[in-house]
Amino acid sequence: MRASLSLPLLAAALVLTPVHAAERAAQPQTQREEVISDISTREISIQSNFTGIEILIFGSIDFSGAAEPDKEIYDVVVVLRSPDQAIVARKKERMLGIWVNGPGKVYPTVPGFYAVLSSRPLRAITSDETLKMLGIGLNNIDFGRATKSGADEETFRSTVIRLKENQLLFQEHDDGVTFIGRTLFRASVDLPVTVPIGRYTAHVYLFRDGQVVSKNQSTLEVSKAGLERAIYLMAFHHPLIYGLLAVVLAVLAGLAGWAVFRRE
Amino acid sequence: MFQIYLPIAEISVNLVIMLGLGAAVGFLSGMFGVGGGFLLTPFLMLSGIPAPIAVATGANQIVATSVSGALAQWRRGNIDFRMGTVLIVGGVAGALIGVFLLKLLREAGQAGLIISLTYVALLGVIGALMLNESLRAIGRTRAGKPSSMRKPGQHNWIHGLPLKLRFPRSRLYISAIPPLVIGWIVGLLTAFLGVGGGFIMVPAMIYLLRMPTNVVIGTSTFQIIFVTAVVAVLHATFNYTLDVVLALLLAAGGVFGGQFGVRAGQRFRGEQLRAMLAVLVLAVAIRLLFDLVLKPSELYSITPLMAGA
Repeated sequence: MRASLSLPLLAAALVLTPVHAAERAAQPQTQREEVISDISTREISIQSNFTGIEILIFGSIDFSGAAEPDKEIYDVVVVLRSPDQAIVARKKERMLGIWVNGPGKVYPTVPGFYAVLSSRPLRAITSDETLKMLGIGLNNIDFGRATKSGADEETFRSTVIRLKENQLLFQEHDDGVTFIGRTLFRASVDLPVTVPIGRYTAHVYLFRDGQVVSKNQSTLEVSKAGLERAIYLMAFHHPLIYGLLAVVLAVLAGLAGWAVFRRE
Repeated sequence: MFQIYLPIAEISVNLVIMLGLGAAVGFLSGMFGVGGGFLLTPFLMLSGIPAPIAVATGANQIVATSVSGALAQWRRGNIDFRMGTVLIVGGVAGALIGVFLLKLLREAGQAGLIISLTYVALLGVIGALMLNESLRAIGRTRAGKPSSMRKPGQHNWIHGLPLKLRFPRSRLYISAIPPLVIGWIVGLLTAFLGVGGGFIMVPAMIYLLRMPTNVVIGTSTFQIIFVTAVVAVLHATFNYTLDVVLALLLAAGGVFGGQFGVRAGQRFRGEQLRAMLAVLVLAVAIRLLFDLVLKPSELYSITPLMAGA
């Protein structure tokens, strides 16, 4: 259902994307392979019992348009990312014997969550330039920072990546995409408890001889649900009412404690 | 197991640990007759809750404990409402400044550091003073001398100040300025540290204002309800740091822990309790100081950039 809807869109995307236009020029203008994909779930709701979740991105390759499918090597790369966030990175420095946060570096567009999964190591699949152009791989994400050169900048950038990897908010898995037979593939991603909310996109790239021959994308909505959602929305959209309610609850808890335990 | 997701702190914590933390602080505050905020907030920080959230949530939690406390005091007629109101006026003014100070520090990435440093200084000084005083008292009791209390009623420089008000319940006719200033300092500390401030207010009321000791605890508890409530609302409104789920967990644990604490406290003499509390306060100060002085295992940190920063 989903795939049949997205195929016309996909065709339009193929024509419109400059990357593909360049690739098409380099290749014979014949029919080609198509990749279709989907995610095991459309929506993830974060409730009080949420401790993380594993999602499955799966798809298949349609070889009917390929000239010689048996002779080529195909690779699939899956990129799952959440909306960007602005973050500040700081380094602690020793001042008068205590450790103090130094001046911060701002990164305006860091994906809250970013996972790249591939059927082989990325460098074996295609060139660094192509990866950079497509923004595939942890080292190729654009954090939106104007100044990029300098040893200090590079240390900070790789530290941001390392810290995000420690929190499992950045993931890179060389063998994350597994083929089942020749046409079906699957990739599972573990979303940790700290996943940011928002609309996630899963981009699936089909590579042949280091070139993207087909691309597909699907989306996933991660949101807080139930009471957590109500609390979160209220705290950020009606903070005054939220604060007053929290105080009323505290007063009620105090009254209850007094009523239950008073000894007179 | 028993993990619960905190919607504002955006982390998952262990339900049992947080209930236990609330109960432990409730127990200690019941046992020693203190509000417990100056233990709760550092404990929360040490258990991984970001400092600004620990402060705001701690303040909200103190509302719950001080409501029960103030009701019990009110039934015994131990609240000077007039003095309480003056202290609240000063407290709200201090709270406003404290909340905005914390907001600025948070945007500069220094909130955790300054909160920790202030705690180390405050807990260190108070713990040392209390330990010194209680050890002397224990020594006196051992030597068989009666413990001496200072006699109120003597005139001091405070009586020369203008804006005099009559406080019939406290049998005082003094200037409104000292209680306003005391309230202001306590309000600032509440907003900044997530404490009730009783440990500052009670000695100040006894030794500076010369209030009768029987109305001191009730009046300070009465003031604490309102100032912590204002602080909780202000932090929620301007810093978005109040986590109501965490607050409820702590309150639930605290109410029960408090009752057992009161019973445990009755087994010890006053100066023994003060000595134990002093040791505990110093231990928390030293633990926080260690975190500041020892080289952290991770020098780098990343935090979301707040809107408007």
